[in-house]
Amino acid sequence: MSFGSTLSRAIAVDAVPGAALLAGLVALPCLVIALTGSGALVLTATNFLVMLIAVLGISLFSGNSGIISFGNVAFMAIGAQVSATLTLPPAIKTANLPLLPVFLQSIQLDFWSATAAALIVVIIVALASGLALVRMSPTSASIATLGLLIIVNSIIVGAQGFTRGSQAMYGVPKLVGLPMAVGLAVVAIIATRLYRDSVTGIRLRAGRDNDAAARACGIDVPAERLRAWVAGAILSGLAGAMFAHMLTVFSAKSFYFDLTFSIIAMMVVGGMASVTGAVSGAVVITVLIEILRRLENGFSLGGLQVPQIFGLTQVGLSVAILVILYGGQTGLLGFREIDSFLPKSWRRQRALPAAASAQARADDGGDVLSVQKLTKSYGGLVAVSDVSLSVRRGEIVGLIGPNGSGKTTLLGCIAGTHAATSGDIRIGTLSLNGLAPHAIARLGIGRTFQTVRLFANMTVLENVTAALADAERGSGLDALAGRAMDLLAEMGIAELSGHIAGTLAYGQQRRVEIARAVAVSPAFLLLDEPTAGMNDVETGVILATLKRLVAERNIGLLIVDHDMKLIMSLCDRIVVLNKGALIAEGSPDEIQGNKNVQEAYLGRRHARLAGNQA
Amino acid sequence: MFRKSLNLGVATLGLAMMLGGPAHAEETFKLGFLGGLTGYLAPYDQPSLDGLTFGVDEINKAGGLQGKYKIELVSRDMRSETAESAVIAQELAGAGVNFLVVPCDVDPAVAAGQISAAAGIPTMSSCASTPTLPGIVGEYMFSNYTADNLQAAALGDYAMKQGYKNAFVMLSKDTPYTQKLPEYFVEVFKKKGGSIAGIIEYKMGQQDFAAEVTKIKGLSPAPDVIMTSAYEPDFPAFIKALRAAGITTPVLGSDGIDSPTTLALGDVAEGVVFTNAGFATEGSALAKFFADYKAAKGKEPETLYVATGYDIVKVLDAAVGASQGKLDGKSLRDAVDGLENVAVATGTMTYKGMNRVPLRTVALNKVTGGARALVELVTPAAADVPAAQ
Repeated sequence: MSFGSTLSRAIAVDAVPGAALLAGLVALPCLVIALTGSGALVLTATNFLVMLIAVLGISLFSGNSGIISFGNVAFMAIGAQVSATLTLPPAIKTANLPLLPVFLQSIQLDFWSATAAALIVVIIVALASGLALVRMSPTSASIATLGLLIIVNSIIVGAQGFTRGSQAMYGVPKLVGLPMAVGLAVVAIIATRLYRDSVTGIRLRAGRDNDAAARACGIDVPAERLRAWVAGAILSGLAGAMFAHMLTVFSAKSFYFDLTFSIIAMMVVGGMASVTGAVSGAVVITVLIEILRRLENGFSLGGLQVPQIFGLTQVGLSVAILVILYGGQTGLLGFREIDSFLPKSWRRQRALPAAASAQARADDGGDVLSVQKLTKSYGGLVAVSDVSLSVRRGEIVGLIGPNGSGKTTLLGCIAGTHAATSGDIRIGTLSLNGLAPHAIARLGIGRTFQTVRLFANMTVLENVTAALADAERGSGLDALAGRAMDLLAEMGIAELSGHIAGTLAYGQQRRVEIARAVAVSPAFLLLDEPTAGMNDVETGVILATLKRLVAERNIGLLIVDHDMKLIMSLCDRIVVLNKGALIAEGSPDEIQGNKNVQEAYLGRRHARLAGNQA
Repeated sequence: MFRKSLNLGVATLGLAMMLGGPAHAEETFKLGFLGGLTGYLAPYDQPSLDGLTFGVDEINKAGGLQGKYKIELVSRDMRSETAESAVIAQELAGAGVNFLVVPCDVDPAVAAGQISAAAGIPTMSSCASTPTLPGIVGEYMFSNYTADNLQAAALGDYAMKQGYKNAFVMLSKDTPYTQKLPEYFVEVFKKKGGSIAGIIEYKMGQQDFAAEVTKIKGLSPAPDVIMTSAYEPDFPAFIKALRAAGITTPVLGSDGIDSPTTLALGDVAEGVVFTNAGFATEGSALAKFFADYKAAKGKEPETLYVATGYDIVKVLDAAVGASQGKLDGKSLRDAVDGLENVAVATGTMTYKGMNRVPLRTVALNKVTGGARALVELVTPAAADVPAAQ
């Protein structure tokens, strides 16, 4: 395989032009300043670029995972602390850091080696903190990142002798100038942008948009979060090392709440969920400050002399942030990247596949999904009681019952989102008991939800790609996107591929959700009310699609629906639940004639009446 | 459209500001001030600038420094950000200031000082009290305010004179001020023959001092005096807990508790002795400064930083006299470094032989009936001031 194709497998080729353009738009003015600007302007531009890398560090994690991190400044602190310890002249170290081991006191490294060493420490801390953090709910995780910031700050203050404690770390050599900052910022922008559209980036964003659905697609959301957490930490650590070697002095308090809030403000103003947003936030705030701080010193406007007003910068900046966030709650850019502003002809178009091609995955797993004596209780309430059922591949089984009879809970137990209290779930001989939802999905069980759960801020193509990614590990992004297009064509919605999923009509969303469930190459598909809220035409389309899927892909279908016409015409076999227990099982005809079923649906008296009339 | 044209207008305005700067005549002394006029430094840098501006206006009315060199004051807000401090120092250096006043905190003062010092501009922090600051930056960097080790020397002297033999010290490693000042005190007190009953650490903002007070109560023999540089909200919480536990041991503090809060504490704070930068006795220079300031502005200054900011102008006046009108960086630097016993609002200041950290008058105050009462004004002997570290 050639280098080029290896590279294109690893990175999101489609994102390259946008990433390069964004990096260029940042780099060019800064290079002009480097060549022609005054000393103060050069410093301003360098500060801006270091802040930009810090913003990208948080954005890489927070933008893609939806978890706001207050903790990345801790990585900046570590980056600054460790790298500066290694670049400080030995004479200053012996005087100021007396507890350092002799070998550390006597060495003096260059910026790159020192930063590399600092980043190793950053990675270790990121892994250790990340392992716990990525398993928490987004809100708890956010608070935990705040805890990390406080812990790292306290350790640096407390480790006086190894560090400077709360005192200023000074004498750091000035090793970061504008040209180096431009280079590193370009790398950071491109890396963050390509990450966003990479396979792992798409999977993480799927988890951000809908955690449960992502797991049902086989995505190991915590693992994806951990990758982004570490990658973001590396960028933050780099920004910290640059900060130290740009200003030559810092102290523990430099990397605390003030800096955290400045960086988060930049990210939120521009739009947290896109790289272009993070970059524009940093640009807008920097430019605003530069204009405001000049106005602050007094100016004349048409003969009117406005005096120096200190505080104008801060007030003006705060007002601007309020106005921007009032105008659009997701910041200037929202979820958009610079690519969406490019002329369409610049963007690569994915060809619509000429014909739909069914490519059922030959599965060597078992042919039967079986549930044995499954019970699920919540405290004293038994939602599912001692239910046994099975679904063969190629078979369509309907699961019906009155509201609250335990249908959705049963599906949840099979898919792993609910832990069964007792009982046994298997594919063939393979036990699914206790497995995480993403692991169950990877074993060949796809599902849709009672209420549509798409990755609302991602395109239809990305929705399906995210789900494919885990079924076909190791495939390049390009190949995955191609397969996703095929699948969309098969479902008859190829023309929707570029649309943002959340903006689609309800019926279309349902079809995307089914396509996404099929993308995990399931042997079995669990569908929870797939036609709820649809008109007859839409229901008809879904019906035909499902029949075709079962026939062409040999999928076993377990379907919950209240539409009896649909259930009766679609299903080979029907299982009826009432109050958590299985009350009947059989062919559609048998079920229609079953007394127990009529009683369950209509009440005993009405059922008798109905029976007498029949 | 409205938004677009508004942006354009603001940008044009900004551009106009960047291009048009005021022209300045010969024989003016360009004084740069950069400070945190917003942000966490505002409580210190704002009054410093206020005093400085008052001093500049006063001396310009009298013809300028040494009656000849009018001061043109250029002041800028660095928003309490270290990076911004460096940017503005570079701008002011580019604008050709003869002397630069930098913020009250070490980080931004160092960031600014390294740039101005490299440009050969004498630089002075308006109220940073960390005595190591000038040494960090080098020959062109000066302190102005009463340094931590100087306050510690005055407190140590006072404790010995009171006959205290055994001192207990409470410090916090959270900031250099809360850590180093007590450590300097320990050094002075031991050198003069005192002994230390114990040192205990607290966390800033911890609120509950029961553990510390229990430890002090358990000391045998009980200490003669307790010294700390804790301030709000820690000091009030500590002194309340201490007195509530029935411990009547005298307490020494530093200028961090020179605030209305301490005076309003009532009985628990009664008798607490603390150092600060000056006390306006009748007929003193500080009393005159307060009166002049009140005459001009209608009210007395709210903090002593106004007076110490004003002191900088007095130092500059003396320095220009000593340099015989030479305003270049090297001449001014050497002149400031050689100043002795300059009369300033808060007493006297000496730079000669002090490694650019001035020897100043220190006032010892005692909280008496909800007000400050002067214990004494002292200028510690240079040899008694512990080395900056």
